[in-house]
Amino acid sequence: MSEPKVKRSILAQLMPWLKSLARKGPSGWMVIAGIIIVLALVIMTAIGPWIAPYNPTATRVGPIRSPPSLQFPMGTNHLGQDMLSRILCGGSIMLQVSALSVVICFLIGVPIGLFSSYVGGKFDSAVSLVIDAIYAFPGLVIAIAIAAMLGPGVINMALSIAVVYIPSYFRVVRSQVLSIKELAYVEAARATGAKWHTILLRYIFPNVIPSIVVVVTINFADAILTAAGLTFIGLGVTYNIPDWGWDLTDGRAYLAAGAWWIILFPGIMIVLLALGFTFIGEGLSELQNPKLQR
Amino acid sequence: MPEASKIELAIVVLVLIGIIVSSATVVYTVSVMSDLASVRSDVNVLKDSVANLTSSISDLTEIIRILATSVNMSLERITALETRLLEIEASLAARETLIVGTTDSIELTLDPAQAYDYFGWCILQQIAGTLVSVKPGSTTGTDYVAELATSWNYSSDLKVWDFNLREGVTFPDGTTFNATHVKYSFDRAIALIPSIPEGAPAGLGYDAIIDNVTVLSTYQVRFYLKMSFSPFLGILACRASAIVDPTYAPIAQVNYTQSDPRASTPVAFVGPYILSKWVRVGGKDQEIRLDANPNYWNLASGYPKLKHVVFKFYSDATSLRLAIESGDVDMAFRHISPTDILELEKNPNLRVWWGSGAFIQYLCFQTKRAPFNETKARIAVAAALNRSAVCDTVFLGLADPLYSIIPPGMLGHTEAFTALGDANYTLTRSLLAELGYNESNPLKFDLWYESSGHYPMSREQALLYEEALEASGVIDVTLKSADWAQYKQNRDNEVMDAYIYGWYPDYVDPDDYAFLYWASWLHTNYSNDTQVSYYDQARATTNTTLRAELYAKIDEIAVQQCSVVPLYVSSAWAVTKPSIYGVYLDITQDMRYWLISK
Amino acid sequence: MGLRAFIITRIILTIPTLLLLLSMVFIIMRVLPGDPVSLHFEKKADPELMDSMRRQLGLDKPLWMQYIDYIGGLVDIGYFMQHGYPNLGKSMQTFEDVGGQIFSAFPATLELAIYSMMIASILGILLGVLASKSYNSVLDHLIRSFGTITYAIPVFFLGIVLQLIFGVYLRWLPTGLRLDPKIEPPATVTGLYTVDSLLEGNIFKFFESLKALILPSLTLGIILSGIFVRLTRINMLETLRLDFVTAARARGLRESTITYGYALRNAFLPILTMMGLQFAMLLGGAILTETTFSWPGLGRYIVQRISFRDYTAIQGAVVMFGLFVTIVSLVVDILYAYFDPRIRL
Repeated sequence: MSEPKVKRSILAQLMPWLKSLARKGPSGWMVIAGIIIVLALVIMTAIGPWIAPYNPTATRVGPIRSPPSLQFPMGTNHLGQDMLSRILCGGSIMLQVSALSVVICFLIGVPIGLFSSYVGGKFDSAVSLVIDAIYAFPGLVIAIAIAAMLGPGVINMALSIAVVYIPSYFRVVRSQVLSIKELAYVEAARATGAKWHTILLRYIFPNVIPSIVVVVTINFADAILTAAGLTFIGLGVTYNIPDWGWDLTDGRAYLAAGAWWIILFPGIMIVLLALGFTFIGEGLSELQNPKLQR
Repeated sequence: MPEASKIELAIVVLVLIGIIVSSATVVYTVSVMSDLASVRSDVNVLKDSVANLTSSISDLTEIIRILATSVNMSLERITALETRLLEIEASLAARETLIVGTTDSIELTLDPAQAYDYFGWCILQQIAGTLVSVKPGSTTGTDYVAELATSWNYSSDLKVWDFNLREGVTFPDGTTFNATHVKYSFDRAIALIPSIPEGAPAGLGYDAIIDNVTVLSTYQVRFYLKMSFSPFLGILACRASAIVDPTYAPIAQVNYTQSDPRASTPVAFVGPYILSKWVRVGGKDQEIRLDANPNYWNLASGYPKLKHVVFKFYSDATSLRLAIESGDVDMAFRHISPTDILELEKNPNLRVWWGSGAFIQYLCFQTKRAPFNETKARIAVAAALNRSAVCDTVFLGLADPLYSIIPPGMLGHTEAFTALGDANYTLTRSLLAELGYNESNPLKFDLWYESSGHYPMSREQALLYEEALEASGVIDVTLKSADWAQYKQNRDNEVMDAYIYGWYPDYVDPDDYAFLYWASWLHTNYSNDTQVSYYDQARATTNTTLRAELYAKIDEIAVQQCSVVPLYVSSAWAVTKPSIYGVYLDITQDMRYWLISK
Repeated sequence: MGLRAFIITRIILTIPTLLLLLSMVFIIMRVLPGDPVSLHFEKKADPELMDSMRRQLGLDKPLWMQYIDYIGGLVDIGYFMQHGYPNLGKSMQTFEDVGGQIFSAFPATLELAIYSMMIASILGILLGVLASKSYNSVLDHLIRSFGTITYAIPVFFLGIVLQLIFGVYLRWLPTGLRLDPKIEPPATVTGLYTVDSLLEGNIFKFFESLKALILPSLTLGIILSGIFVRLTRINMLETLRLDFVTAARARGLRESTITYGYALRNAFLPILTMMGLQFAMLLGGAILTETTFSWPGLGRYIVQRISFRDYTAIQGAVVMFGLFVTIVSLVVDILYAYFDPRIRL
């Protein structure tokens, strides 16, 4: 009996929030559009293996490099694999890598940011210096170097991408904390003798969350694009799993031969996925920006 | 007399004067008139002359105008002729120039003591000379012809080799080639081995093969070898054995030639071409230009056919393909993908040349630990491979399944591995069953491939090998990859269960292939004294029948042991404009540009 | 504080950042597995020979000594005077001077960066101003969507699509390389082909190099313009709401004067900062763009060197780039401080 109640309560919480979003104008619509896109792609990837017409990794199910037709609506690639099946199942690597890198970034970047900016002083300056140095680093180069160092694999790719984005989390958190920690009620909390970790967790952190959410979504989008970029250079995963990134990379060699479908469909999917997250992030950041409230 | 008569007198006198005056006037006027008349007639004569003059002048002008027009026309004709001449010159030059497109780059240097990369050797072959070379069009790789050596013989134990050298060969600075140069070149190559450990003489083992080079006379040289070595001519034909001019190649160092070869000390050679331009940017070649060597010893036979060769460098196969399609280059050799070459073949404006290949790939097993310490496991996996699927799907028929480590056409090639069959799942299952593997307990291992493009289509190959192996039902493959640096390290650290490797010959002789079955640097931890003894026997004799038998025996053992399993041999291809001919795609994989003409 | 004091402080602050950058590069490179030594031995590898190669590359010395050598080389003024580039060591793969290699590859990336930045900022600012003028209209939404979508496109995907359309199908523009291999590059003065060919007076070469630049800078430029569009739009929206704008309108000034003369000028500073920040993004984008278009620049150089484990080359390239980014941010900061005295406080 408890399950329907739980479902209703989740939906019950969700629907009003969505409705309120819709009322907020174009920014709100952006967020909703983004959520729909992301959810649709996630669901498609999840049920892909069941709805795919062919085994996406089976070679020679059709003629090599045949254009889109009734039998193969998205054509076949250079190994005779069905592109439609590969598209339906191909998002898992991208999603896994970006989700993992976001989690890593969050777990490392946010606490460091909170702690360092709260403590302030020389410690904060030192940490900021290090983070700035990492930030000045050409991000893709670090990602490539680390990916080359660790070898291919979902976790390794996620790690290399995470290292690049931790500074963004740090900076956003830090700028928020710096402005919040001077507020009156934080002062009051300190005056009443609350411990630093209580202040951080209960007073400061909740105020930081809205900006973090924006960074998270942008991070997702960037992670997807960086994962595609790493695959393009040849550092993609080795598993024999359909992957939009690999199809994009492989397809390039066959463009001059006229096989545009091998590269177009995976590319569109990657753009859609990144776009979904970007919409969410952009919309949320506009909603939060008080200067735009009329 | 009356007074009135004075007046009458005056009047008479006046009348008389008047009459005299008027008659004088009349006479004067008459004379003037006659003068006038003569003047008038003079004037008339003058007028006539003037009129004549004027007409002559206009005639003259007319003549001058006609002259000018004809001069103009001649000038125009001359200009047109000049332009035509220039055009003809340009097209002659173009007809004398071969433009080759490539994605290669010289790795380091063109010094024979150091260069060990394909493209460095390619350029060296055009500009340098060796004692012998392989006949263009060779299918076995062992038909050697005279080059800087005119004839040779060897002792029965194959340890002493004598060469008679060609006379009348000059270096660019005028020095005449003789035996001392041969000795110098080899002494230098061997002396530099410790300081150039990555160079070709080191890799080919010159110090292990050659004991000493002796000058017998001006045009006779003798090599004393440390071992009986029948493929010695193969070693002499490769670029590490190019003859250098001591003036430009100090014995103690390599001249690293970068950017403009004229700016740094050139290493002078005696080949059909000279290197007249070499530009590098950021460590990669940007332009190389070869011009005919005016002192080439074989000029009389008409070589080099084309006076100039220009290399244009593109950075990937697609750009190269577009360049040959748009006519920007006359020829492209290597680095065109199977897909592209098959498309280009359909193009009526291009000609595709096919040849036999010498590049092979093979599967190595780590024999020092499970599961491949068991011979049966190795044989089972080898039997489950489907080479034809790979050759058809990945290489579109441009590679051939290989059943012996020695490629077809060469001495000692067999079809030994056909004994195991392709996708021979019955054999696989029965062998694995003996080891306790079955459907519920499949043989699990990691299959590694190289991921940075060092070998062609590695990933696609691996996907197909995995598919074929798993189709047996009793094998579970996990694909793993590493870029070249990591791959080599993994090989040396022996972390890979099974791994795909490739081989490009240094010299085209079965001696340079057969040892792959047990090569120590492959780190398979496999050794077999019988195979090694057959190998040593084969290199100690020149009897081709005997050698073929020995290599066949090596193959037989290889099939029973499966330490290294040959996979495929690639074909070779080149694409040119239809006007190009003289392209030899033989088993040496060398392109002899001096044989090509338009 | 005064402007001069600010500048001096900022310059001093860059030094520890640079040093940190250098050290991090050094450490990462050494930690990378894969041995540059073994890469020299194509086929067989004798342990003795490998040892002598190791010695030749300087890899047998202890790590701290290699580090000192490295830093020492960088500050070697004499070498700099002699060669025109700092001593960044010798490439572990080709033994050429890394400094020389980098300086020959850098102008290509610089040229690409400049043109991309021009396209990105002009496109971005124009569209952003347009969008801010027509707030909440269809045009505004379209432009905003453009700004968002361009950021979500993988740069190499856009590059490949443009290559396909303009290079392969229409054959209007070259698909790669800085200049058709048939043409001799202009004499090197700045290293930027467009500038050099103008200096040489050769209009043909100028147009040819421009033709080759169009696709790659368009690719990077479009991707980067998204950020400029959004930033300009938001800043302009804020500025246009301010009192002085209303006052200017009341005074009867023309709309275009208000937009470009007053509002944009005030909104410009954050855009300037963003331009500085985007230079760091440029190398990331440039790596992929250079690979797609076979552009012989620093990005492609780095990617190639990583696969060779060419420590010195990668260190050198990253240091070069870090220096470049640092200088650009320094300049941007100083300009910002010059225009906005509040920052100096």
